Amino acid sequence: MLMSKRCHLRGAEPAKLIFHQEEATEMGGYFICNGMERLARLLVLQKRNYPMSLVRKSFHVRGDGYSDKGVVIRCVRKDESSVTLKLYYLQNGSARLGFWVGGREFLLPVGIILKALIETSDREIYVSLTCCYNNRYNREKGAVGTQLIGERAQIILDEVRDLSLFTRSQCLKHIGEYFQPVMDGFESENHTVVAEAVLRDYILVHLESNHDKFNLLIFMLQKLYGLVDQTASPDNPDALQYQEVLLPGHLINIYLKVKLQEWLHRSRRQLLDEMAKSKELKIDDETVHTQIKTFFTRNSAMIGRSIESMIKVGRVGATSTLDIPQNQGLTIQAERLNFLRFISHFCAVHRGASFAKMRTTSVRKLLPESWGFLCPVHTPDGEPCGLLNHMTSICRISSYFNSEGKVKDFSIIRVHIQDVLVRLGMIPLLPNLERAGPPEVLHVLLDGRIIGSIASCHVEKVVSHIRGLKLSTSSGIPDDMEVGYVPLSLGGAYPGLYLFTNPTRFLRPVRNISHSTSDHNIELIGPFEQAFMEIRCPDGGDGGRREGFPATHEETHPTAMLSVVANLTPWCDHNQSPRNMYQCQMAKQTMGFSSQALKFRTDVKTYHLQTPQSPIVRTATYSKYCVDEFPTGTNAIVAVLAYSGYDMEDAMILNKSSVDRGLCRGHVYQTECVDLADKREKSDPLKIFARGNDKSKPTSSTIDSDGLPYIGQKIDPKQPLYSSYDTLTSMTKSTFLKGSEPAIIDNVTVDGTNSKGYMQKVNIRLRKIRDPVIGDKFSSRHGQKGVCSQLWPDIDMPFSAVTGMRPDLIINPHAFPSRMTIGMLLESIAAKGGSLHGKFMDATPFSNSTKEVDGNEKSEPKSLVDELGPMLASHGFNYHGLEVLYSGVYGTELTCEIFIGPVYYQRLRHMVSDKFQVRSTGTVDPITRQPVGGRKRGGGIRFGEMERDSVLAHGAAYLLHDRLHSCSDYHIADVCSSCGSILTATVAQNQRRMMPNILGLPHAKTPKSYMCQACGTKKGMETVAMPYVFRYLAAELAAMNIRMDLKLSRGGE
Amino acid sequence: MEGAVSYQRFPKVRIREIKDDYMKFELRETDASIANALRRVMIAEVPTVAIDLVEIEVNSTVLNDEFIAHRLGLVPLTSDDAMRMRLSRDCDSCDGDGQCEFCSVEFHLNVSCDSDQTLDVTSADLRSTEPRVCPVDVAARALSLGVDSTSYDTGDHRGILIVKLRRGQELRLRAIARKGIGKDHAKWSPAATVTFMYEPEIHINEELMETLTLEEKRNWIDSSPTKVFDIDPNTHQVVVVDAEAYTYDDEVIKKAEAMGKPGLIEIYGKEDSFIFTVESTGAIKAYQLVINAIEILRQKLDAVRLQDSEESDFGELSAHL
Repeated sequence: MLMSKRCHLRGAEPAKLIFHQEEATEMGGYFICNGMERLARLLVLQKRNYPMSLVRKSFHVRGDGYSDKGVVIRCVRKDESSVTLKLYYLQNGSARLGFWVGGREFLLPVGIILKALIETSDREIYVSLTCCYNNRYNREKGAVGTQLIGERAQIILDEVRDLSLFTRSQCLKHIGEYFQPVMDGFESENHTVVAEAVLRDYILVHLESNHDKFNLLIFMLQKLYGLVDQTASPDNPDALQYQEVLLPGHLINIYLKVKLQEWLHRSRRQLLDEMAKSKELKIDDETVHTQIKTFFTRNSAMIGRSIESMIKVGRVGATSTLDIPQNQGLTIQAERLNFLRFISHFCAVHRGASFAKMRTTSVRKLLPESWGFLCPVHTPDGEPCGLLNHMTSICRISSYFNSEGKVKDFSIIRVHIQDVLVRLGMIPLLPNLERAGPPEVLHVLLDGRIIGSIASCHVEKVVSHIRGLKLSTSSGIPDDMEVGYVPLSLGGAYPGLYLFTNPTRFLRPVRNISHSTSDHNIELIGPFEQAFMEIRCPDGGDGGRREGFPATHEETHPTAMLSVVANLTPWCDHNQSPRNMYQCQMAKQTMGFSSQALKFRTDVKTYHLQTPQSPIVRTATYSKYCVDEFPTGTNAIVAVLAYSGYDMEDAMILNKSSVDRGLCRGHVYQTECVDLADKREKSDPLKIFARGNDKSKPTSSTIDSDGLPYIGQKIDPKQPLYSSYDTLTSMTKSTFLKGSEPAIIDNVTVDGTNSKGYMQKVNIRLRKIRDPVIGDKFSSRHGQKGVCSQLWPDIDMPFSAVTGMRPDLIINPHAFPSRMTIGMLLESIAAKGGSLHGKFMDATPFSNSTKEVDGNEKSEPKSLVDELGPMLASHGFNYHGLEVLYSGVYGTELTCEIFIGPVYYQRLRHMVSDKFQVRSTGTVDPITRQPVGGRKRGGGIRFGEMERDSVLAHGAAYLLHDRLHSCSDYHIADVCSSCGSILTATVAQNQRRMMPNILGLPHAKTPKSYMCQACGTKKGMETVAMPYVFRYLAAELAAMNIRMDLKLSRGGE
Repeated sequence: MEGAVSYQRFPKVRIREIKDDYMKFELRETDASIANALRRVMIAEVPTVAIDLVEIEVNSTVLNDEFIAHRLGLVPLTSDDAMRMRLSRDCDSCDGDGQCEFCSVEFHLNVSCDSDQTLDVTSADLRSTEPRVCPVDVAARALSLGVDSTSYDTGDHRGILIVKLRRGQELRLRAIARKGIGKDHAKWSPAATVTFMYEPEIHINEELMETLTLEEKRNWIDSSPTKVFDIDPNTHQVVVVDAEAYTYDDEVIKKAEAMGKPGLIEIYGKEDSFIFTVESTGAIKAYQLVINAIEILRQKLDAVRLQDSEESDFGELSAHL
């Protein structure tokens, strides 16, 4: 991974990066595989070590008597590998524990596990389970238990007793017997050892001690019964509150673990096989050690390769053991189309490929839980809408490293937190102690371990105190700890104090205003705790809160809820919201300054804008993220008027002179990698790059003596690009430039890594000029895209009598009323004012929702226009950005005043030269003789059934005939009218009439005559025009022994 | 065509202001068609000389060949002789390949950087084979210094930036400048801005105006973003100080209506008098630009007149011919 600890560029200064021909602002975080930049996709996972209550229909099908309710916990070990454990509720009041072993789900009565975990008695289990119910608290706020729980505990215990299991050892034996066949490597062990392994490897694996497991299982049962009795609500698995993210390092870690285990098993098996074969092999032998070594090294290379291929193609072999939601698409290519697209890849969080196919849309919904963590604007529309989200600009993910960059020691942290909590009044959980449950006390869970309980009347104070400790660096409480305090409620979320210190949680900074004494009041919060916190907007208001719930926290800035790309839209708070979504999409398809190290890169395809500009109107984020290093557009003078009709339906008119002067000029860089050894097998002759000696061939004009093109040379389509020499046949063969547009050789690099002295592999970088032409796509930063419909001469453009300005671009006023992109109008006015005053304008959205820096009471809220208007008026312009324009064609005043001003325009990568498809005649399919499809092959566009219907409906029979017959597989067949076959016609050979040769004229063609092979006569042969496929059909039918007869008749007969 | 009324008029030009690259004049007693034709010709059809062919020998700069060629093309060249020059495609002495003295001027540029400082390649580095055609900024400087235009100083004044070089980079090329018009490519356009406005005619309804208080008058005056009116400090009357500053934005009329005094002011554009503002890129002097434009306009009209009158029926237009 670039910039990782193993990377030589880590911590390099910009100067060093430039020296190494890298981007000066290189940030790393991705892998380079075969020259591709690939990064691991951030996948959403269920929040670890938190028992989540779910209601799912699919739980019914687990077996008879199963309800749709359950509690699911994803337990994650220290090494990041995870096991998901499910606790199902049975209709009869009991519960089953389910987990997957070797591709099969095993369901066990929970009582057996409870008994097998620790030496316990039925009474202890009963008391622990029923502690959450007390007659006193019946139906009070926060009561989760009902009197039913006692009966259920009885059922659970009865189940175990019915199996005549009474002691722990009996339970262990029972489990061991049951699991021995599926546990690999325990064939010779006794049942107790097997059972202990099962408990260790599959039951609540994030906990080490069995007592902790027992306690958590009791807690899960209580939560399950709370869900069943509707005293606690189910958790929403689609809410960010119960989600975390899969990090690339962890993915590699768990995959490596699986691969290592596989390798170990395989080597063991091979070793055993070998031992079985040759009896004399003994373990204690000296030579055996080396032999064992060879066994183990044999497959060891596979591990590295499988990790590499996982990064390369994003696919993993075994998913069931990995416990991740998908086995494909784990890595993606980081496209450097422009800077914004590139950085968006690193912020993208995907919900999982399996959800894309689901027909329900509930997963795609924007939920309030994701506020501040996922951008509500920056998601693509269409297929991945709502599944592919982007983190907000301030959102980060917790990791193994603390804020000083040191590795966290979680065991020390946890012990410390526990100490602090005990000091604050937590009753630690001790065995054999009479316990209580909510609403009297709240359980405290630290990373999925019950560490004690706090009296519910104290909790709030404790939580507030811990939050204070989070802020101070010396307290030992990590600053990214999540304090998920779920308060007592009536049928709300199951109450408790859930503390999380683990990595892979979403985090975001907010200002803690209840501890305003310290300067350090930025607190990192997670999505779980956020749902129960009072965070207000920084506009100074209370956000409609009631007296009882004062805000304890404050957002850092209103734009903190937006992603980097969404943040770049100027005044996006004045736009209709879908337009901002469109802009986020289009910003990522813009031609821009993709890379400053373009000269040294060999991307397959890159777009490059020749003359980009810095926008006059920009948000604060623009300068913060140094987007000026990679600008994406041009400030164009845009006039909003209907002029000449060529701006209808989102078309736009460009000023030809502006284009002449360099507006939106661009290039496409394409790298062609030629490897002559690529498809060569051992027997194939060696090929090298060389130019033929034949001077007469046109090759020599474009190709140098080494067989490669000259740098800077312009090559037209179908001209030779390079030539190669076959050592066996001593033939030179030149390869021609593909495509339909000329290209310039930008650079040629020779790759000599595995060439054995021959020049075999080269990269030829081509540069194609893409000046704006009719059909190219442009867009403003407000989701207003359009296609260039005309390059209008400068003199025909409307002009201002005062300044003489002609617009660079004309758009139609109809683009505004329905789309309501007021931000664009404001941008135009602001940019006009900014350019008149010679300064950049700040267009940060929601700026009126922030407090003034100096703390002054905000003056009368002014409309933006009232701020911008005077800027224009002071320079003698209309207050509202209107100007009187004159027709460039007639020189007369246009009847209304025209809104005109500079707007930052982006040129999108969709260009006609990549897309146009036109054909008159050309390649045909060899079998049907119909035109082929596909732009690359010079094919046509399908004229299908629906098109046929519409032409038919118009009665345009001649046109229809032309499209479907004359221009397609027109064929004249010879048909025998006596037998009706079209397949039996053969050329009659005896007929060779000599045509008199006339001097100077080409040889006269003798008309071919046909005879029917079946009838043996030339009589009755007729020519019939038909589609060639018809003849093909006849031939196909004939192959199946079906004869097709044609009955010929003259029209009307 | 008997009986056709002649609409012949004799437009008058009065020059107000004249500078090398700026000119302001009045055009009277004609109509918008002529004024606009003049504007269009000035922008798009007055010929100049600009670099059109670039042959790059060495280019190790950060910019690619086309980019440099494009930038070179946009450098304005002194084109006083452009009217006399031939268009390459019409040139008899060369086969239209633009290599002869009648239709082209050759430039050479040869710069390499061997210092650690960034070297700017500017228009001053372009060496012309024809002293009368050179980048305008070089010519302007030569004129002001009173020295020969071919010699350039490496001093503080830097020309139009073409590209920047760092150590070890080199740019060597041969460029051919040819005559052309702005219609073909904007680089041949000699006009930075040409615009005209109708001369406004402002009538203040003095009677109604006097019904306004001084404060109201001030408000009314301030409603115009440009300074058209003012208050006479002595008489407190509203006077027109600069009628031509009026941009036809109707702000004062709207204001008058908003104040409940419609008809307070009436403003008309005079249909037959125009005020032209011409700004030149420096390729030719502004007054030359106007003269050339008139010349070209005349040539175009001549071309129409010389067409076979049998075939073409100009209708009313024939009266003008």
